[in-house]
Amino acid sequence: MSDTQWPRYEVFVQERPGRPHQHAGSVHAPDPEMALLNARDVFVRRPECASLWVAPSATVRGGTAEELSQPLAAPVSEEGNPDIEYLVFAKLEERGTLAHVGEVHATGPEGALAAAKAAASRPPLALWVIPATRVERTLPEEAASMFDPSRHKPFRDQAFYHIQTALRRLRRDPSPVASLQTRGTKH
Amino acid sequence: MVRISAEESFHNKQGIEIVLALIQGRPTQRAMARDAVHRWWWPTLMMFGPHDSESPNTPALVRWGIKTRSNDELRQDFVNQTVPQAQAMRLTLPDPDLRFDESTGNWHFGEIDWGEFWRVVGGDGPCNRERLEARRAAHDDGLWVRQALAAYAARA
Repeated sequence: MSDTQWPRYEVFVQERPGRPHQHAGSVHAPDPEMALLNARDVFVRRPECASLWVAPSATVRGGTAEELSQPLAAPVSEEGNPDIEYLVFAKLEERGTLAHVGEVHATGPEGALAAAKAAASRPPLALWVIPATRVERTLPEEAASMFDPSRHKPFRDQAFYHIQTALRRLRRDPSPVASLQTRGTKH
Repeated sequence: MVRISAEESFHNKQGIEIVLALIQGRPTQRAMARDAVHRWWWPTLMMFGPHDSESPNTPALVRWGIKTRSNDELRQDFVNQTVPQAQAMRLTLPDPDLRFDESTGNWHFGEIDWGEFWRVVGGDGPCNRERLEARRAAHDDGLWVRQALAAYAARA
């Protein structure tokens, strides 16, 4: 049993406080707690994270605009408590990704999706709804222990290297490497 | 894509800086640089993939915008960029056919050993067995961790 694939969780990253959580990808994990830790290790290599959410992929209802325009194979009737909270994620721009845009209340995922569609400011390119209770979130008081280590990891930007300058200097004055020329030709 | 390009550019520049440091170092360090360049020159050219004529997916990948140039075009760009750098560093490249072609403005290079390429692709590279064994060992050695996590997830 320990060598079967673990369930998949969708990962949402908030880069800075006040910004929406955005879909970053997915991880496999045995439970939501490990999913958060795996998501931190995979998606927070660069210090741009204030909060993480994960939700089991199986609890996501939605898809691309094209998928959502297809009629359902069978009509779904959802009955019961009409007050289940769903988080809504929408992709509004071609170059963007799914981002948290708000909440709707409904009796089931189909109703939530319809409500989310109706509430959208413009037709989304993709739309997801996820029951709020299935979303596991990092707590504000955990943020330091979760995200500070990657902030303190030295990260060297490519602009640090001055390759062209070094090569120009070598072309002008090849003496630091000149002795290689005679010894390097045996191949 | 912008972030990916910046990070890949980092690897490229860091690699060049390492070679620059070695060739200006002690004789043993210079020998390391020469040895590495001679071992990796041909595998590096292979890494751009088979000839365009042997790369049936290229037209579709270009159409979808995943590739912007063909394997052979990128390989030629790389050679044109790298030969002058190697010259500036006084490093020879292990190709007797390497010469500048005035008419095309390209550095002409010799034929790649595609037999070696396909052997490596097929899993018969020099470190292939070692690499796979390391992966299997890591997976096997991690069994107790996966069991512990599954037990923790299954707790009442």
